[in-house]
Amino acid sequence: MLKYFISISLILYSLNFFSQEKDSIIYKDSYGLRVGIDLYNPISSFIDDSRKGLELVGDYRISKKFYIATELGYTEKTTDLDFLNFTAKGQYIKAGIDYNTYENWLNMENIIYFGFRYGFSTFNQTLNSGIINSDPFLPEQEITAPREFNSLNGHWAELIIGIKAEILNNVYLGFSFSGKKMITTKEPEGFKNLFVPGFNRVFLNDSGFGFNYTISYLIPIYKKNK
Amino acid sequence: MKNTLLILLLLIIATTSCERDDICIDEITPKFIVRFYDFDNSELTKSVENIAVRIIGVGIDSLYTDNSTTILTLTDSIAIPLIVTDSETKFIITSNSTDEALISIDTLTLNYTAEEVFIGRSCGFKSVFNDVDYDNTNNWIKNIEVVSDTITNETSAHVKIFH
Repeated sequence: MLKYFISISLILYSLNFFSQEKDSIIYKDSYGLRVGIDLYNPISSFIDDSRKGLELVGDYRISKKFYIATELGYTEKTTDLDFLNFTAKGQYIKAGIDYNTYENWLNMENIIYFGFRYGFSTFNQTLNSGIINSDPFLPEQEITAPREFNSLNGHWAELIIGIKAEILNNVYLGFSFSGKKMITTKEPEGFKNLFVPGFNRVFLNDSGFGFNYTISYLIPIYKKNK
Repeated sequence: MKNTLLILLLLIIATTSCERDDICIDEITPKFIVRFYDFDNSELTKSVENIAVRIIGVGIDSLYTDNSTTILTLTDSIAIPLIVTDSETKFIITSNSTDEALISIDTLTLNYTAEEVFIGRSCGFKSVFNDVDYDNTNNWIKNIEVVSDTITNETSAHVKIFH
């Protein structure tokens, strides 16, 4: 009998282990559609009236770590420079995925993610005024009649790094930073796409960046074990 | 995973690093460049003493000042701006402008088609000049030779003046 002692105690021990597992609380993850609004546009239009815009954001959780995400918006922005003043206005859509890298404790559902987006915008540009830059000895030679450049577009790719924190039940506050690269644009004749809605300022090497502050609400659809 | 985030962050910073493209450093509207040559030996450049240039219609036919030098004491080339809103610029070029005995005045007229070109965000627009025609009087200027009938850059002379 004694020679079975160790085996029996091991079996008892493991049974004991299993029963403890059954006692533990199982935390579940919410899956659903998160919809929200960007706060950066209203804040920036408060500080500087050259920019107006609205952006709606949404994501849908498809697995433990992946979310399908989209942003749609409208921007109107006037840029005033030394030798140019122009307004770009139009709408855009971005679609892609977010990948959550954050392991939550217990029932927390915050995410620190990185994402990829494909962006597309259709917009118009108006050159409000410009200067023909020549020797300062001559009187300043200005283009005063506004010029319209319509039906322009741009396609670009974005890499995003961001965070969404649950501040109230199902209410999330988010912040993200994005780096962008223009793929193709339909350029105006005799001018250039210097600002593209959704992309923001187009730098010389066709890159750009953006910030987003969002507040969003998660509409829970189902729950799943962690 | 922390490393991935760090790499991504660096990648974003690298691709969006700030550029100094708000300061205009590109070529703006080119000036008209004249080079002076010796009438007797057309291979050699010959400086003009105390040259003064007026642009008719700009200011009150004001003396053209380039880098605050009103009168160039001894120069074998000048670069002068053209009026982009007109199709004609008239210059009064005076040699020996400080010497009552030797002073000599000539008029050089340029007719052209100004074409507007967009440079970029920091510089705005510029003009280039096509189909340039030259006309001049012959007091101290003995002859002119057109090198180029377009003025699109400042890399070389557009006209040779022999005196």
